Amino acid sequence: MAAYLAYPINDVVEEDEDSIEEADSVAGSLPLENGDGRPLSYAAVRMAKRISKTGIRRQSHTRAASSHTHRAVELSLAHSQISPPLTPKGSHEVLHRRSFEPEITFHNYLRAFYHFHPTSTVSSSTDESSITVPINQGDVILVHSIHPNGWADGTLLASGARGWLPTNYCEAYDHPSVRDLLNALTHLWDLVRSGENDNLMVFTRQDYVRGMIAGVRFFLEKTNCLSRESTLIVNHVGLRRLRKGLLGDLSALVKIAKELQAILQAQGPTAAVYELLDELVLKAFKVVIRAVRFLDIWSQDVAQEQPRDVDSADYSDPNNRPLTPPADLMERNDVEDSQPPVQTENQRDGATSPQRDVVSPPNPVPHELPTEMKCRATAGNAFAAQSPTLSAISIVSAQGPPQAANLVPRPLSLQAKRISVSHRLSYVGKGGGAARQNLASERLSTAHDSFLGLLATFIGSHLQSRSGQELAATTQQSVTACRQLLAVVEEVWARDGRRSDPLAFARDVMYAKLAELVQATKDIFNQTNGGEDVVNVEQKAHLVTTTTNCIRAAGECVNKARSVIERIGDFEFEHVGLGLADDIFDSLAPQPQPAPPEDNLSVVEEARTEESSRPSLEEKPLPMPPTAPPQPTTRPPPPPPLMILPASKPLPEPPQASPSSNILSPLDQGMRTMIVESPTALESVRSSRSSVRPLSQLPVPQLPQTDVSPTSSIQSPIIPSSHQFYGRTNRTDSVNTAAETNSTWRNSMPTENASTVSLASTRATTPDRSPIHAQGEHIPNPMMGSFGSLSELQSIISEESAVEEQVLEKTFALELVYNKEGQITGGSLPALVEKLTTHDTTPDAVFTTTFYLTFRLFTTASEFARCLIDRFEYIGSGIHIGVPVRLRVYNVFKGWLETHWQSESDSPALPIILEFAEGVLSTALPGAAKRMIELCHKVADQSSGLLVPRLVSSLGKTSTSVTVFSDAMIPQPNVTKSQLSALRASRNGGPSCSILDFDPMELARQFTIIESRIFCSIGPEELLALEWTKKVGSRAVNVRAMSTLSTDLANLVADTILQLEEPKKRAVIIKQWVKISMKCLELNNYDSLMAIICSLNSSMVLRLRKTWELVSQKTKVRLEDLKAITDVGKNYAVLRLRLQNHVAPCIPFVGIYLTDLTFVDVGNQTTRALPGSEAANGDGKAISVINFDKHMKTAKIIGQLQRFQVPYRLAAVPEMQDWMEAQISRVRHSEQANVQTFYRRSLLLEPREQVRHEQRNSPPNGESHLTKESVGGMSAKEKFDLWGSLHLGGSTKGEKLPPQPL
Amino acid sequence: MAPREYNIVVLGSGGVGKSCLTAQFVQNIWIESYDPTIEDSYRKPLEVDGRQIVLEILDTAGTEQFTAMRELYMKTGQGFLLVFSITSLSSLNELSEIRDQIIRIKDDPAVPIVLVGNKCDLEEDRAISRGRAFAVSQSWGNVPYYETSARRRNNVDESFRDLCRQMIRRDRDAMKAQGRYVDEEPPRKRGSHRDSKGRHSAGSSSKRRQRSRGPCTIL
Repeated sequence: MAAYLAYPINDVVEEDEDSIEEADSVAGSLPLENGDGRPLSYAAVRMAKRISKTGIRRQSHTRAASSHTHRAVELSLAHSQISPPLTPKGSHEVLHRRSFEPEITFHNYLRAFYHFHPTSTVSSSTDESSITVPINQGDVILVHSIHPNGWADGTLLASGARGWLPTNYCEAYDHPSVRDLLNALTHLWDLVRSGENDNLMVFTRQDYVRGMIAGVRFFLEKTNCLSRESTLIVNHVGLRRLRKGLLGDLSALVKIAKELQAILQAQGPTAAVYELLDELVLKAFKVVIRAVRFLDIWSQDVAQEQPRDVDSADYSDPNNRPLTPPADLMERNDVEDSQPPVQTENQRDGATSPQRDVVSPPNPVPHELPTEMKCRATAGNAFAAQSPTLSAISIVSAQGPPQAANLVPRPLSLQAKRISVSHRLSYVGKGGGAARQNLASERLSTAHDSFLGLLATFIGSHLQSRSGQELAATTQQSVTACRQLLAVVEEVWARDGRRSDPLAFARDVMYAKLAELVQATKDIFNQTNGGEDVVNVEQKAHLVTTTTNCIRAAGECVNKARSVIERIGDFEFEHVGLGLADDIFDSLAPQPQPAPPEDNLSVVEEARTEESSRPSLEEKPLPMPPTAPPQPTTRPPPPPPLMILPASKPLPEPPQASPSSNILSPLDQGMRTMIVESPTALESVRSSRSSVRPLSQLPVPQLPQTDVSPTSSIQSPIIPSSHQFYGRTNRTDSVNTAAETNSTWRNSMPTENASTVSLASTRATTPDRSPIHAQGEHIPNPMMGSFGSLSELQSIISEESAVEEQVLEKTFALELVYNKEGQITGGSLPALVEKLTTHDTTPDAVFTTTFYLTFRLFTTASEFARCLIDRFEYIGSGIHIGVPVRLRVYNVFKGWLETHWQSESDSPALPIILEFAEGVLSTALPGAAKRMIELCHKVADQSSGLLVPRLVSSLGKTSTSVTVFSDAMIPQPNVTKSQLSALRASRNGGPSCSILDFDPMELARQFTIIESRIFCSIGPEELLALEWTKKVGSRAVNVRAMSTLSTDLANLVADTILQLEEPKKRAVIIKQWVKISMKCLELNNYDSLMAIICSLNSSMVLRLRKTWELVSQKTKVRLEDLKAITDVGKNYAVLRLRLQNHVAPCIPFVGIYLTDLTFVDVGNQTTRALPGSEAANGDGKAISVINFDKHMKTAKIIGQLQRFQVPYRLAAVPEMQDWMEAQISRVRHSEQANVQTFYRRSLLLEPREQVRHEQRNSPPNGESHLTKESVGGMSAKEKFDLWGSLHLGGSTKGEKLPPQPL
Repeated sequence: MAPREYNIVVLGSGGVGKSCLTAQFVQNIWIESYDPTIEDSYRKPLEVDGRQIVLEILDTAGTEQFTAMRELYMKTGQGFLLVFSITSLSSLNELSEIRDQIIRIKDDPAVPIVLVGNKCDLEEDRAISRGRAFAVSQSWGNVPYYETSARRRNNVDESFRDLCRQMIRRDRDAMKAQGRYVDEEPPRKRGSHRDSKGRHSAGSSSKRRQRSRGPCTIL
């Protein structure tokens, strides 16, 4: 409170008396008593009002309203200038009102429905960077953003060209069969984009390629074409060829990815990397194009024959497919923007190309401002009537075109309700350029972060009774943060055509919670004004509760908003003038801030108040979406827009006639035109360091026309191109890694090919076995590619077989969870086993050791064995994947049996393993099987009692080599002959020795050797699953031995001190123990150090005032230092820091690890939810997988301990060790060695009266000061103590319990 | 004014679930994975009766067998949460010894203590009746008794908060005794916040308060 009272009075906030008055007039009901003359409470009250729901500034409404109407007029004027795209013919007839929900869904992919060949690809003579790309019917386009006027920024998969294209010429493309593949492509694209920002690490892993492969696999599975032997493929020439081409492209993609990986690992980012990245993207595009074409033919020719066979039957049957409604019949209450599609900056284009910097900014600034207003004013306003008819894409469904099958049943509403540029939400490439700041998703995150941070500060400063000034400042900041968060949420909500109910609900809850918080704050301020110094405790408690609720509500709100963004596409807050972060930054100024511009606020409020949809919220404080353009002073100006279309550029009219009649030859004209006419398109779209080569050699996808047979439509483009392609790749890199691995293996296991056929599959349903067998026969020599002398055809087959294998590879990769660092944090057992046995990379050492160490915690040995066997079987015996994986499976078994076998828990798995080794494995890999059978017998002997020395787990043992000393470094024991003979004599009943008789260093060394012996034999299994805490049958014998030894040593210390009658002698012993503990520290023996220090600091020793008076100051200081090291405070911060820097040998205090392991065990769940599985699962529940992160943490701690498990290089003095062990044994078995007895002995040695106060004030060196205070007669405390000692004398535990009341 | 720091030591024999109790209390709902090896793992800012404090919790779970260390742990504590499992009689009996040791080390029979019977979700395995446990708590000078379920997060916060209140009160009493006391706390309705479920006697707090004041006035 002192701080509160001492707050400065002089800081009068004169800056805005006006706003105070204004606040007063608004919230006149609020008492503004401040007779104590503390002006700051003005500010505080003002803040409270501002966030209060009564604090709407009525008087500013008129102003706002007028400006609002003004803008509206401006807007409507702007509208008349648009010549909107016309609705293609026929749309009115096929109108289905049902599907007309005004909904924005951001489709990542579009498919051109008409040709679009603008006369000039550069739409403005003054600006070369506004490129329109010509599109051909059937082209698939990856959309990056869609401008409200209907132009989309997209990349043509066919060419890699990027530019503007009219969405009304396109339809959404999202066929369920290819959805996975498309998503994988989007992911890859995003990765490459962020990769160009030097985030290339991800390409050293192959996960992204696996996504593509899984996508193709899924696609083929859905179309029943997975197997080469499937009747479809066998009977249908066109599909067969397409499938081959698809797999060929996929193979090439895999190859590029590998090349990329190799280069990155070898030399880091080079120019070649960027070229490869481009190649990668193009190849991925090609794969998708092939798949799309495959699907076209498939749906046309095949699906109609067997329409109900597959999941996608509903979509493949044109009659069944819901019609896409023409957009002109949609509820057109949103407003078209006359602006050019200002592509300020795409989030994936972080690397700004030089051209972009010179591009002039988007021209008409005046139009930018109102956009924000428009969206606020949309609901039921007058614009609907005026708004021009906007056509969207419609489908000439009456004709039943072939591509109809590719449409999704969702209404295509590419333009509905789209107020500003919409972006595809990218999950990768965070921080890829300044423009991201403007994206809704980023805004949301930033606002939420600031909100959380500031609210925490807010609540913190309230509770800590900060000065009024600080309170006011933080309150104000919090208000701003709340407002900004709500502004973003409102904006997201407004964008969503569906008006997401969950979001609205979450938002309303947040408003309600905020209102409560405001009330609570207000109450506190009012009370403060009343002159009371202290804020009511209950009010504070209430404040905390309301704040917590508010934070929770905000979290929910943000989550909902995020899912909405994902659905409708990310969009830019391009007209939002004040960056959220900037604003918050502004308000961090020391002085209480002037009110945010009232105009802006009130404008928004006005707009919102007009909204009839949510009258209940009218009175609420409104978030402020700032309307001023970005301030260059507060933030670097946004990068110049990538591409600009002139304001007057309307969408082209879609052709009126039947689309097919209008088709230009796509390859000849469309592509060539693009390439020739718009070179800048490529330059500007790609990053400057990597420009895409025009892909004349790539086949241009051509949509098969209705009257063309599939065969004829596909043959010409594909066959030559694949030849070309393979020819090229063969020259550069003719053999992949899989083949290399395989070749070495084949030398040793020559019978593989013959044996695979006989493998019995336990998974009869797995469709991928037969083609592989066939495959094996096709390949004359897996090494053939490397010689380059083989015919092109053969190499194609080889390539294809590799990729075919990969495609057909059954995978659980989708059941893995990674963290941000790319570490696996969870997964199902098959997925983890798969990770353990990947074909293309050596398994991560940490992962493998963790798995071996901890698998018994999440599965059983039998289960693990079966899973490995499954893996062996389902992977097949393919040359490129099957065989390497099978070898890895064998290696995992081998490693398990050799080094990680634990007979007690693992023996049930032995019959399973043996059966596998003798059966399946011996047929497939006879040599391996033989070795494995041997190992099985070995571990069987071991478990039946025949001792086979087990190799120690390699975990954490890597540092062993560091500590190898030469013999010369072993120190000579510091012990004299007479000492040795005295030791021997004492053993034989002679006079007993004392620790005073020996060198402290030698004592420390010998004890360290004893302790190290136990420490080094602690096995990892002792540390798992709280094994050491088990009361009965604990296997953690060595951990137990450690704790026993530690306790015994502590007791020995107490015993040696307390057995002496004379204080002087006790003091000498204490000094000796301090010396010994210092030597222990020198030897890094923290366990002994802890024990000794504990004992010296125990109450029974510490209370011996007379003794400590005789201990030298030097010793006391030393002891203090040692105590600081063994301080348990701050989670052993001191000790942990020291341990971090040590190399073995070292004996850490094992207790730390035991506590850590305990808390990892109880503090982390055993399972975790698989992200994204809620949707897939159907019932909204996430699939739960093994929380591998928990086990990684466990293994890490065990690894830390094992790091120190290195024997000391010290010479043993057996006599001394014997003597020590005898002493310890004596103490251990003594009835007297317990805390109570020691304490009583201590009381006897130095009776209580004089030492009473020492016990409560710890340090022995502070003693003299304390003794002065220790006066006074028998107190209640002493009575208690007497009772305590009496009680201890009679010590039985049950005694104290009063009779149980019944 | 920096928040006052208080040290709590959680004690009890192995397997009573005291680590669960601590983990539940310390863990923030926003934390997805818990790493106990960092300095802040056991620190928790807390608001008790409108007072902002920082709790540092020393839970020696896993090291019960290092009995010699126990005293070292006890020394650091200003308040003690003594945990037993209602399914194990021996776990309650062992607490008596621990409590004696605490009182001896702190040289203070009124040191803030809360007795906690954990695992109250395992009602069917109950080995210690509420009455019995409560009688023990009374015999210890009316220390509060809570029955908790770390698994269901029942009464976890309540028991820690009760302990905090005791510590804060003692702190204030001590300051008052030394004449440095500034009444930070506004008049509070006694007992209004103490009616938590596990609490058996509403009056115990006031009794406890008197008791705890007794020895301190002698200072």
